[in-house]
Amino acid sequence: MSISSSAQKQQRGATTASEESAAAPPITLSERSSTGLALLRILVGYLWFQQLFWKLPPTFAGLYGYVVRESQHAILPGYGTLLQHTFLAGCPSLSSPVGCTAFVPLAACVWTAELLVAISLLFGLFTRFGALLATILSVQLYVGLAYTEWIWTYGMLVLLALVFVAVPAGRRLGVDLWLAPRLRSAAQRHRLASIASWFV
Amino acid sequence: MNRSDTLRRGLLAGIFASLVLALFDFVTDGEPGNGFPGVLHWFGLTMSDPTISHWVGLLLLIVLGGVFGLIFGALQRGSPVTTGRALLTGLALGVLWWLLFEVVLANLTNHASSLLSPSFGQFLSSFPLAALFGVLLGAIFIQWQGQHEPRRPS
Repeated sequence: MSISSSAQKQQRGATTASEESAAAPPITLSERSSTGLALLRILVGYLWFQQLFWKLPPTFAGLYGYVVRESQHAILPGYGTLLQHTFLAGCPSLSSPVGCTAFVPLAACVWTAELLVAISLLFGLFTRFGALLATILSVQLYVGLAYTEWIWTYGMLVLLALVFVAVPAGRRLGVDLWLAPRLRSAAQRHRLASIASWFV
Repeated sequence: MNRSDTLRRGLLAGIFASLVLALFDFVTDGEPGNGFPGVLHWFGLTMSDPTISHWVGLLLLIVLGGVFGLIFGALQRGSPVTTGRALLTGLALGVLWWLLFEVVLANLTNHASSLLSPSFGQFLSSFPLAALFGVLLGAIFIQWQGQHEPRRPS
């Protein structure tokens, strides 16, 4: 009896262990952790916000030197050529954007994208969309500038942005707190709301 | 939730929201807290000792945050508030903060350009942060309400 009982116990124990390994228990963030992550989101948003000021419109001149550097040091083959034929098309000088044909409109797009990232992360408004945009911008910076500075500088920027793609940090201390439940309920009726709900 | 509870939560939410603004001064280029004397400049105050000026500026920022928090709490009239209303009221107070301190008082004390022609850079550096203060005020208030009371549909 004792043998069969211990065998049953062993079998039960093995079953429980296999069940546990098959389905890891869900992770639930506490209220404090969520609020802490929201505070980090705000600081990362402020990081992007600060970087708007050294390349202000209407000239976006501060950006020019960086685009030139990216065209010279890009780690992805062909990326430098792409920049030379878009941002730097028709530029007579490597020190000033005066005379460039497409620099201002393209730089305006970059600046606007960075402004959107800053607003999104600061206010927690469609935070995951902002974080996704931040990831794309950071990857672009990594490709162009990684080897001109400490290599982890832009690598960390990419990783930080990815954290906020993964975690819905705008649902605390942010507008997503109000948006998320509305979009979730509207998602059953409207496809657009369903798509928008991915980004909060 | 009675009126004194609402006021207390508003006060604390305002203080925390202003502390977030203060935190930004520690991740800005230059010496930490360089922006705090700017709070004194809104009221036309200057202090010769930079250390005292930094500390008094920080204290004033927190006090102003608390005052706006109290106004926020008073506007709720002691009744539970929805998330949308809290965020909107907070945003409105943030815009009021910007108009009062960054536009009217800064112009009266001659620390900013003309009221009618603020530069784009000046607007960009002040308006979003004032609006953020307001949104944070509303968001912190509603989160605390949610933790201390049964949830209402928002």
